[in-house]
Amino acid sequence: MRGHAHLVGSYRPGSSPLHRMPLRTKLPLLLGLGTVSLAVQGMLPRTLLLLAVLILHFAAGAGWRRLLSPLKPMWLFLLVLAAYHWWQHGPGSAWQILAGLLACVYAANILLATTPVQCLLDALVAAVRPLQRFGADPERFALAIGLMLRSIPFLVGSFADVREAAKARGLERNPRALVMPALIGTVAYARQTGDALAARGLGDKDDGGQQAEKG
Amino acid sequence: MSSSAAGRVSFSNVSVSVPAADAAPGRDSGAPAGTRAILRGISVELTERRVAVIGGNGSGKSTLLRLVNGLVRPSAGQVRVNGLDPSVDGGRVRRQVGFVFTDPLSQLVMPTPREDLELSLRRIHRRGADRRRAAEQILAAYGLAHLADNSIYELSGGERQLAALATVLAVNPAVLVLDEPSTLLDLRNTKLLHRVFETLDQQLIMATHDLDFAAGFDRALVIHGGQAVFDGDAAGAVSFYRRLCADDAAWPRTLQQGPGHRSPSGNGVP
Repeated sequence: MRGHAHLVGSYRPGSSPLHRMPLRTKLPLLLGLGTVSLAVQGMLPRTLLLLAVLILHFAAGAGWRRLLSPLKPMWLFLLVLAAYHWWQHGPGSAWQILAGLLACVYAANILLATTPVQCLLDALVAAVRPLQRFGADPERFALAIGLMLRSIPFLVGSFADVREAAKARGLERNPRALVMPALIGTVAYARQTGDALAARGLGDKDDGGQQAEKG
Repeated sequence: MSSSAAGRVSFSNVSVSVPAADAAPGRDSGAPAGTRAILRGISVELTERRVAVIGGNGSGKSTLLRLVNGLVRPSAGQVRVNGLDPSVDGGRVRRQVGFVFTDPLSQLVMPTPREDLELSLRRIHRRGADRRRAAEQILAAYGLAHLADNSIYELSGGERQLAALATVLAVNPAVLVLDEPSTLLDLRNTKLLHRVFETLDQQLIMATHDLDFAAGFDRALVIHGGQAVFDGDAAGAVSFYRRLCADDAAWPRTLQQGPGHRSPSGNGVP
């Protein structure tokens, strides 16, 4: 079941300027590029913004394959959207929509490709720290998000495995042969992850440490 | 290494039973109706530095180990780890007890050894820079530095188990519980893992099928049919277990006859 977890959109170590840029500069930069590319109108500005994101993409050392892989799950959606805008408003509008969306997707892609998950989690912990006075535990929050980020590609991969196993037995059209094992696999994965965290004493409420802080 | 550095794990009259629809009442002595006993009346106090737990598949070894960090709760009796009850002080016990599974892929939850190690270290080092430095040191200590950013699926079985061990030891547990850590490994990797175990200060409680390795431990338990049928010196335990395996009458009838001759009740317990 664990065979082919597709680890898409994950961090690629490197030493490009974007890898070295601190998150407090990189996040606003990429978030800004994405937001502006949807906010401004007109073919030329949007094309230029997409171009800027693409330059950053290659500056970050992410290659062509990394450019194509996000398109795989969304090409049909993009095609239908572009076709509709072409029909309603003409080719210029269709290109504007595409350029804006792709700029956003690639900006997010750059962030994930050049920032280790642990750094993103640190930023998250810092962001939710003010909520600590209301009883929130930022570390547990970060752990939950980290596990979520990890689980999505794993579950996609495990569903692909189940589909292959069903196909091997000639059951690819049987919804029960597809849904039930995927469901059981998901629950098993959740339990396994819980055990794996317990095995290192992670995820339990950190009562000892907090009591020590309070004195 | 003296046993003074070791932890103290004690079981007093511990039983574990699970709900079982097909449980035949009366057949499993000690288990309430509608349940099946996995462990029965275990009473041991483990203070030695290296304790081996040996027994067949399904004998209850894993359940015994999981009682130590509270992943399994006793149905009756008491478990104590350095005076703490895992069912009450679960969090505190788990911070002292590291657990290594048979399959390292069950242990590693992040995509690369480095990320997984940094996840472990979050509890100790709140500052990112400290955590990265500590992770770097541990990776180097286990000879994993060149694999730090590889996908865990690209590592060999031995490298993976070593990475899993490193992520557990990174949080400095006082007791290390290992459930057949070398069962999936080849001979060379098994030896490598054993050499790492030799260097550890922690108390080790290890279930294993590697009888030659177990024979060198300070103490060993033989678990059979949910009971501790032998408790004493490791060499004695291993020879007891070898005799037990040679004695067909000691094993469930269904296992001897094979799947073609299943008895109506399904699980025959001697």
